[in-house]
Amino acid sequence: MPVRCNELWLGLHCPQLPLLAAWQCDPEVPELHAVHGHQRGRHIILQASSAARRAGVTPGQPLATALAIAPALQSRPRHSRAEAALLEQLALGAWQGSSHVVQAPSDGVLLEIAGSRRLYGGLRPLVEALCADLERRGLPVRAGSAPVPATARLFARHGLHAADREIMRRKLHGLPLTALALDDRQARALAGCGLDSVAGLLRLPAPERARRFGPALNRHLLCLEGRAPTPLAAWQPPEVFCLRLELPAASSDSAALLFVFRRAIERMAHWLDVRDQALTRLHVTLHREDGGGRIPLEVGLSRPGMDAERLLELLALKLENLELPAPVEAVELRAESTGEHRPPQADLWSGHNRGDAWPALLDRLKARLGEAGLSGLAPQPDHRPEKAWRWVEPGTSSNCEDERPRPTWLLPAPCPCRRENLRLEDGPERIEAGWWDEEDCRRDYFVARDRHGRRLWVFHEHRPREGWFIHGLFD
Amino acid sequence: MSADASLEQLLDRRPDLWRGRARKTFPAASTGLGWLDRGLPGGGWPLGRLTELLPSLSGCGELGLLLPLLARCTQRAEPVVLAGPALVPGPQALISAGVALDHLVVVREASESLWAAEQCLKSGLCGSVVVWPPAGPVGERAVRRLQLAAERSPGPTFVVYRPDQSPPPSVSALRLGLSPGPEVEILRSPSGLVESRCLSPESESVVDLERYRRHARSMQ
Repeated sequence: MPVRCNELWLGLHCPQLPLLAAWQCDPEVPELHAVHGHQRGRHIILQASSAARRAGVTPGQPLATALAIAPALQSRPRHSRAEAALLEQLALGAWQGSSHVVQAPSDGVLLEIAGSRRLYGGLRPLVEALCADLERRGLPVRAGSAPVPATARLFARHGLHAADREIMRRKLHGLPLTALALDDRQARALAGCGLDSVAGLLRLPAPERARRFGPALNRHLLCLEGRAPTPLAAWQPPEVFCLRLELPAASSDSAALLFVFRRAIERMAHWLDVRDQALTRLHVTLHREDGGGRIPLEVGLSRPGMDAERLLELLALKLENLELPAPVEAVELRAESTGEHRPPQADLWSGHNRGDAWPALLDRLKARLGEAGLSGLAPQPDHRPEKAWRWVEPGTSSNCEDERPRPTWLLPAPCPCRRENLRLEDGPERIEAGWWDEEDCRRDYFVARDRHGRRLWVFHEHRPREGWFIHGLFD
Repeated sequence: MSADASLEQLLDRRPDLWRGRARKTFPAASTGLGWLDRGLPGGGWPLGRLTELLPSLSGCGELGLLLPLLARCTQRAEPVVLAGPALVPGPQALISAGVALDHLVVVREASESLWAAEQCLKSGLCGSVVVWPPAGPVGERAVRRLQLAAERSPGPTFVVYRPDQSPPPSVSALRLGLSPGPEVEILRSPSGLVESRCLSPESESVVDLERYRRHARSMQ
């Protein structure tokens, strides 16, 4: 059982989070791209891509200046909601390394790894596995570790690792003052005192620091040194997956929508994977740009599972059938999932997964034909022939004790005919039923031949209407 | 490999090539009806190829003749797809013919029957696929696509035309005209020659009628 002083925290810091969040839904990101914020009535570049930085665009530059330097630059306003969603994704990735995850807004997470690093065979394999996994999911991170959460977060920005408090203290003291990322006012005040390293700041007596730079800095330093507890709120992966992604520009083009779906489904797959759940049904809502009614789409899976390519194919089929009345500005995904997860089984001989292929085929057909476009058949215990069958879900097994001969084809509804054209061969079979549900009928069924020699199933109805009707064909 | 053998193989690869009577027969599955097996060129329904059925009226055996095959497929848990039938197949009749209904799927959206059938054929999972092209003229391309897809399906594939539809020129293995009776006329056979033979069961299915009579008597 790890005691409190044996804690080790890993900080994961995603330096490009604002940039990634603002540009995540673009199929093709321009080489020169940036994200800007609003500061004192001006647009200021917050982050720029490496190509843009090479072209001379630097964070803090007014947008107008940046555009003058690099006219090809494309910049988007910062999107804090998308950043929060991406941070959730980062936390979800971290959850695979530890069950104790804390979000460190706006661009990092912390996880306690004293226990789990042994599972991975040390700190380095754990960090490498997590970083590689997040990188694969489009979230490049830097990692740092320390026995104190606040320091781990700071170290993550600088890629420092400290296994115990002594090393941590030494590394902390070696950092320049700018590493603390203090706000402008504090940084100016500290620079005014001639301080340039963390060591110098820590050497000052605490009351003096509080008087000169305010009590908040002292609290922060105490947390960093591990002498005061860092306030933490444990994070848990959400119970229900729900994600809203906004399109970079409203569009009714299915390729653009599918790209966003791909992004969303990748994240959903990650969530399902981490929670060991399998998808049963996916609810998609398309939000129209003109604020009109939302367009719901639904994709059901015959067998719980998660296959991103298959889901995208089903969504593409759904979109194909859809007439979008207006461009779509955002998509929302909600997953219905189940814990009953059966991993796909491969066929022993042929190697391909036949057991899963049939449900997949049914899903694909349903996606285009609709739920009612594809059915199985089942008999129903009722004497009235038109009520003696129904459409069911494909794969519903049924049995039938009724031994009476019935035609191979049934007409959707009995069709009136003329008695003269029929030659009765067999019958009658009297059917008198339905007094209980007010669809009372009294009929005599016959097998008859028509002029062409076809065998028909006809009836002479006495109630509710009098006359002869064809009900089926003996094929 | 001798030159002769490789030529033979090359020719075999082209099912649409007319080679007179010398051509080898295609693999076929028994229809389950003795008189039909004896009469059909390959001894049954051709596998991996299209069979076109042209009933003169609806209800001339386009389902009845297939029932033994469908029963065999579904009992082996091979799915059977009926894509876009104009009428409703009667479940009681299917069950009494031995069809396991849990392996039978009906595509009710008739306008999409060709697409659905193609998907099923391409998957290679179905024991048999029967497709009714949507009402109106049937395009040559549509049938050619089906033929190509049918080559990827292990079982027999059937295209059933409506009485008012005329079949386009196609590369199907077998084209059968159906008339009440049932009476089967071979309009085209895999050997490429139109033999125009008429087949019909020696005796009609008396069994059904017999059962019906018994039942009717017991009711009185």
